Amino acid sequence: MKILIANRGEIAVRIIRACREMGFATVAVYSDCDRDARHVREADQALHIGPSEAVKSYLRIDAILDAARLSGADAIHPGYGFLAENAAFAAACHDAGVTFIGPTPAAIALMGSKTAARATAIKAGVPVVPGTETPLDDTVSDSDLVGIAESVGYPLVVKAVAGGGGKGMRTVEAAASLAAAVRTARSEAGSAFGDSAVYLERQIVRPRHIEIQLLGDQHGTIIPFVERECSIQRRHQKVVEESPSTVVSPDLRRRMAAAAVSVARTAAYSSAGTIEFLLDPDGAFYFLEMNTRLQVEHPVTEMVTSIDLVQWQLRIALGEKLDIDPERALTPQGHAIECRIYAEDPDQGFLPSPGLIRGLRPASGPGVRDDGGVDAGYTVPVFYDSMIAKLVAWGATRTDAVARMARALREYQVLGIRTTIPFFLWLMRQPDYGAGRYDTMYLDRLLASRAGESFNELSDEDEVLAAIAVALDATLRAGGGPGSARPGGGLPSWKQAGRREALRG
Amino acid sequence: MTFEIEVNARSRIVSIERTGPGQYRVTVDGQTRALDAARIGSHGLSLILGGGSNVSREVHVAPSTVRGELLVLLEGRTVTATVNARRTGRAAADAGSHGPGEQAVVAPMPGRVVRVLVSEGDEVAARQPVVVVEAMKMENELSSPKAGRVKDVAVTPGMSVEAGRVLIVIE
Repeated sequence: MKILIANRGEIAVRIIRACREMGFATVAVYSDCDRDARHVREADQALHIGPSEAVKSYLRIDAILDAARLSGADAIHPGYGFLAENAAFAAACHDAGVTFIGPTPAAIALMGSKTAARATAIKAGVPVVPGTETPLDDTVSDSDLVGIAESVGYPLVVKAVAGGGGKGMRTVEAAASLAAAVRTARSEAGSAFGDSAVYLERQIVRPRHIEIQLLGDQHGTIIPFVERECSIQRRHQKVVEESPSTVVSPDLRRRMAAAAVSVARTAAYSSAGTIEFLLDPDGAFYFLEMNTRLQVEHPVTEMVTSIDLVQWQLRIALGEKLDIDPERALTPQGHAIECRIYAEDPDQGFLPSPGLIRGLRPASGPGVRDDGGVDAGYTVPVFYDSMIAKLVAWGATRTDAVARMARALREYQVLGIRTTIPFFLWLMRQPDYGAGRYDTMYLDRLLASRAGESFNELSDEDEVLAAIAVALDATLRAGGGPGSARPGGGLPSWKQAGRREALRG
Repeated sequence: MTFEIEVNARSRIVSIERTGPGQYRVTVDGQTRALDAARIGSHGLSLILGGGSNVSREVHVAPSTVRGELLVLLEGRTVTATVNARRTGRAAADAGSHGPGEQAVVAPMPGRVVRVLVSEGDEVAARQPVVVVEAMKMENELSSPKAGRVKDVAVTPGMSVEAGRVLIVIE
């Protein structure tokens, strides 16, 4: 069995790990700037598929199918993003005689259209957020938009029909800002998804984003999992996820799981998928959308259930029957939290901070999982999403998990570029986060209240130490050299340091 | 050796004198202390403070993507540092200064200009969005640093820009 991974970064590494554990051969594909990327080296084979721009490489169906044919791959795992929710790609795989590790093209197409997905949920008897039932393309005039928006009600959210991951999404408080929001959403949606159609949805006030992971096999069995809580979002992008949620009781969990299964069954769904809900403060929940793929945040589910979702995706694609105990999938053991570590500068409004990673030491130790995608020496490219790793902490209780995450973040060393680690360290200390009191707008409100304050404040003592370290570093680089070395320790020259590292092996 | 070290935009005079293997006498802004230091890897330093405190810290000093700028990692926080920089303001601010009363909107990262929201001669308010740059699949609105008039629009939609490129000048 040989699996081609049509992706890059941490998720390609994650899938290769599952394949290796199952004894499957792996094929990586890569663009120009990813020649030295980690996933290329982790795989058994690697094929170049084009220039760095995603549309010329990771989004090219023909190039990826050529790579599958040349390498003799039996199946393709799309990961998330890129072609993962592209029904034409899934269909092209089938036509080429390669197994697509995911749902059927029909299910992807159905749930990939946000408006068709809403219709499916309604058919399944699951409540949806009030909104427009048909896509609004470029031909809808601004004045018509205002009329449609009135019928939906303010505040509302403009969303890309083909959207996901918060792209092509804008909140509108009143009619005055509607046209501008629609314009931005269309532009973003057009460049991110190749489809600029949008729709409008009433904004649920202070909701939680709660989602139910599912696995479905090809024999009609669908198993729902304990919920993931993904309300910690910055501008509609998830940044921290956890499982279970602090506000979901076992009874609510069963009702949400049943609703999720009902939607998946109506869509004739197989493989891994996720049904996203908004949960309002009164405990009512609404279908939001379905992601017909593996999610970024799948590790938190794996940590609290000890079930490997990627391995199950592979087994399901091979035709195996799901034989997971449903109670085990729905009953969390402890608590898990994931932080998405991005190459972004939190002190500059989270602007991308690509560049050369000069040193990297991920966190480890009890209850810590690092799903990394990069190494020291790699230059984070400007062409793709800037996530470099997902750090997951498990604890017997949520309090333990938060403390463990803070410990792990402090251990995590990324040198040469800025990352979101200092921001997460700050978040873990916030009383409302610690108490589990938040909604999807919590983080944006909290960030706005900081008014530009740095996430990297040092005490006077630490600032002095930092200055001393910089001066010492400069001294040594200027040729403090062998003379300053002391036997068996101290400050050896670069060469000696290198030798000592090598000897330690 | 004596250095002027700027950390987090604060400048300090740091003198370092080696007193033995791995042993240093360090003077910062007139205050002297003993220090035990060991090199860890290519960028790391293990520092143990003397004078009975024995405080232990691991600090990493590595060049950033900006020439002449260092990033210092200390217990999960990353701060900017420069060596022997006169306090003339930060490099980025220099790149953005043009004439008296003029300020530039500069691309903070490499990307592509999606939209230009103002034209030459337009009056703009402070923090008014003036240009949208797409990088890493996200559209980032860049705002005017001050209230004023648009003196120059140096880019057009679709243009690829490097970090530090002047996009718009406000006077």
